[in-house]
Amino acid sequence: MLKKILIMSLCVMMAFSITGCGKESTQPIANDTKDEKEEVTLTFALWDTFQEPVLQEIISEFQKTNPHIKVDVQLTPFGQYWTKLETAATGGVLPDLFWMNGPNFIKYASNGMLLPIHEKAKTDNVDLTKYPKGLIELYTYENSLYGIPKDFDLTALWYNKNIFDDAGVPYPTDEWTWDDMVEAARKLTDKEKGIYGTSLQTSTQQGIYNTIHQSGGFVISPDRGKSGHDTPGGIKGIQLWRDLIEEGISPTIEELVDTPVIDLFESGSVAMVYAASWNVKRFMENENIKDNIDLVIMPMIDKRASIIHGLTNAINANTKHPEAAWELVKFLGSKEANEIWARSGVVIPAHFDALDIWINSYPQINLNAFVDQLDYSVMYPASRDNRWTEMERDTLRNVWSGEIAVEDACKTITQEMDKLLSQER
Amino acid sequence: MEAGKKLNSNEKINKLKILDYIGNFKRNNFSKNRLKNYFWAYLLIFPTVAGLGVFYIGAFFQNLYYSFTNLGAFGRYNFIGLDNYSRLISDPEVYQTLINTFKYTMLVVPLTVGISILVATLLNSKIKGIGIYRTLYFLPAVTMPAAVAMVWRWLFNGRIGLINYLLSLIGITGPAWIADPRFAMFALVIVSVWMGIGFNMIILLAGLQGISKNYYEAASIDGAGPVKQFFSITLPVLSPTIFFVVVMSLINAFQTFELIFLMIGKESMAIDKTKTIVYLFYRHAFEWHDKGYAAAIAVLIFAIILIFTVVQMALQKKWVHYE
Amino acid sequence: MSYKKRQKNHHFWIHFVLITGVVITITPFIWMILTSLKTLGESTQIPPVILPDSPQWKNYVEVQQRLPFLRFYYNTIVYTAVRTIGQLILCSMAGYAFARIEFPGKKAIFIIMLSVLMIPSQSFLLPQFMIMARFKLLNTLRALIIPGLFSAFGTFLMRQFFMQIPKELEEAAILDGCNHFQIYKNIMLPLVKPGLTALAITCILASWNQLMWPLIVNTSIEKMTLSAGLASLAGQHHTNYPVSMAGAVLAIWPMIVVFLLFQKQFIEGIASTGSKG
Repeated sequence: MLKKILIMSLCVMMAFSITGCGKESTQPIANDTKDEKEEVTLTFALWDTFQEPVLQEIISEFQKTNPHIKVDVQLTPFGQYWTKLETAATGGVLPDLFWMNGPNFIKYASNGMLLPIHEKAKTDNVDLTKYPKGLIELYTYENSLYGIPKDFDLTALWYNKNIFDDAGVPYPTDEWTWDDMVEAARKLTDKEKGIYGTSLQTSTQQGIYNTIHQSGGFVISPDRGKSGHDTPGGIKGIQLWRDLIEEGISPTIEELVDTPVIDLFESGSVAMVYAASWNVKRFMENENIKDNIDLVIMPMIDKRASIIHGLTNAINANTKHPEAAWELVKFLGSKEANEIWARSGVVIPAHFDALDIWINSYPQINLNAFVDQLDYSVMYPASRDNRWTEMERDTLRNVWSGEIAVEDACKTITQEMDKLLSQER
Repeated sequence: MEAGKKLNSNEKINKLKILDYIGNFKRNNFSKNRLKNYFWAYLLIFPTVAGLGVFYIGAFFQNLYYSFTNLGAFGRYNFIGLDNYSRLISDPEVYQTLINTFKYTMLVVPLTVGISILVATLLNSKIKGIGIYRTLYFLPAVTMPAAVAMVWRWLFNGRIGLINYLLSLIGITGPAWIADPRFAMFALVIVSVWMGIGFNMIILLAGLQGISKNYYEAASIDGAGPVKQFFSITLPVLSPTIFFVVVMSLINAFQTFELIFLMIGKESMAIDKTKTIVYLFYRHAFEWHDKGYAAAIAVLIFAIILIFTVVQMALQKKWVHYE
Repeated sequence: MSYKKRQKNHHFWIHFVLITGVVITITPFIWMILTSLKTLGESTQIPPVILPDSPQWKNYVEVQQRLPFLRFYYNTIVYTAVRTIGQLILCSMAGYAFARIEFPGKKAIFIIMLSVLMIPSQSFLLPQFMIMARFKLLNTLRALIIPGLFSAFGTFLMRQFFMQIPKELEEAAILDGCNHFQIYKNIMLPLVKPGLTALAITCILASWNQLMWPLIVNTSIEKMTLSAGLASLAGQHHTNYPVSMAGAVLAIWPMIVVFLLFQKQFIEGIASTGSKG
């Protein structure tokens, strides 16, 4: 009897999943071209679990004035997000709205996957000067703007006060140079206790891209056609990190592959780390370290520079509800919505008028360090399909492990990267 | 005698009747019946043949077609002739992954099969607790590779992993297994062998249990010890099973992907020395959206396996001792 | 040394070798479970803490907050069950026809079908993916299941089992006026139970643990299987080992329990695929 029931229910399951009587096949189809007030459901894809509740708050605010627009938020871990989006685009089921980042933007824009918004922004009087210029440039392709910046991230030097106190070393300041950092790191490193004074930052965005620009080099030329890794600044910007490992004041690359640098910082094994602003919430919610960390702007090398990257809310070019999607995007870019982001402290809001609120989201730490770097921020390097980033990372890995000299590596990267960039055209 | 005869003749009559019946049946319904058989045969094979036709055989040719295109992001493509293949020939990454794959296969297969034969032979000696041993040895085979990769990655952690801790107890400073290009391959091989023994052991044990005890008794009388018995009886009689296990292990090892993908990962500098050809295929197809080129890699994988199959069929006749 | 004593000594060494092997085999499982009950601090301590101070069951709660494990269970069970039942039906039908009925084109069709066994799965993946994309089936359970319903290996295996059944049984049934479907269903299927078990076990194991296809077709978290879900847990930036291990334990226990309950069938099933495949 039991067996029969089991088989029956399995058969029913089978029938359901094959014919798809379930919810997955039909989505509420609404059309907002006929009647503004007809009910519309927008799908919205994103990846950050920390940000999702904040976004929900903003959406409910939005619905006060637009009760007919519903938003279905789809959360995907970052590891799968881009594969999923590409898959959805291939299958013609791209969500109405989705988060877009710099490295992927040009690929989507040049393939006609995104809805241009500059006309809409002009008619609706959106003031684009209220957002960082680097980000507006980042999301402009062939003179069309495809998104209002949502947030931005910059990198700062975080430090663990306990380790400094134990070693009797004064805390970092905004006036520090790279050499000051190295000097302090030497004093802080304690092999016995397993503590490193500082650490190589393996993420290029938080690591070498900053130091390359601070050394007077560049990563990619403004026309996205040439690499700058083999310029003197490029070589220096990478060599500095290599020296940290060689001197033994940073964990080796092997250790960093086993345990990512952020984890090492959180467990108190690293005294100073270059970390971007998206870590604020994570650090401040970590019982281990939240009361004994602070941050300053990145130490000066030859000049000031800071890589800026930020996300935008992109609209699917083939959305059935372009008007409703634009309404939401416009609201997400508004001062009001940015203030909600700011209060949460999760990300730095893109709208300048909301920055003060963000700085005070965690008054006990010096969040000003991020905002202060806006003036000399540099756009995140990106090209159409960014195949070179893989090659760049692979080559850098061999630099960190000491297999190849920095100068040779830079030559290789530039050579390969120029080749890949010319293929993109 | 009487009764026996009667029975006999009765049976004959019955047989004749049946034959007659069948004959009639055949004569009258022959073609109709045959057509009916055809109908049922085609009906029964239809779903499988159609499904295999579309999703496997058709897909194979479709893949072949893709390998001549630049199928890329968002599913768009143009025909580009042999470009992918000329790129394949000059791609150092393809050679590197092939070398890694062969290295991996050559390490994993002999170790797995050798240890499996050892365990199966030990289990086949008349000892207590075969059932429990067999169950425990089989556990890794029912465990999800994703979970296996996760726990071993953790065991292999250079700083806080259990393995290096145990090594430190006997005075050895263990390497950063996963991150060190010199050791990552060994880490992979250890995990693969750990996972592979259970499956092979079961099949070999079944083969061993099928060997008649008479052989061993005869050998014992002749004065052959257990080692001699193993080489003069067990191995030859077991050779078809061993051959099957070796071929399956070779094909599986050649197509290995999960462990490299999840245990080593693209962040590790050991990936250059461990990535396999299927890993390369996956990255081109689903991470770099370079699907046309990935299709060409798939064709290469197919060609290698085809050659291997032909070779093993030829070798089989030489090596394997069939009764 | 007497024979008995030698035998005993001999057995001691056999047990010694086997137990060493067992320790190596199960240590990762034990470490997985122990780690899943530690605090983050305990898990990263040097030297390692063997037993957690007090078991941290909350790791199991936390992993379910990070990833919808109930959803993963549902998806994996539906996928495994539907695929297995589908294969049992379809493969046994085709296997029966190939084994017991003469029809034109049989040999050719069978050989073409067998050739599928020689082709590595990578050669099908891209087109299968594109088919699913074209029919807008990506991110559905159907996409996960459909290609796996058809199996050349399963058909071949079932054919081997059907071939062993004596001819007489079938002839008698034909005389009784049964058609082939009735023979297949009423007479033959019950006789190839060992074959069906072997196929079911192979299919269940493969489906539960499969990674690449689920990883490709179902990238939306709602439609992921345990295997793909676990891969995404491993891929997250933050590595909280106890929580990851809790996820791993949650993903593997059902299959281990099923194995322990049906050990005999598993072992016989796998042994028979070895002798018949």
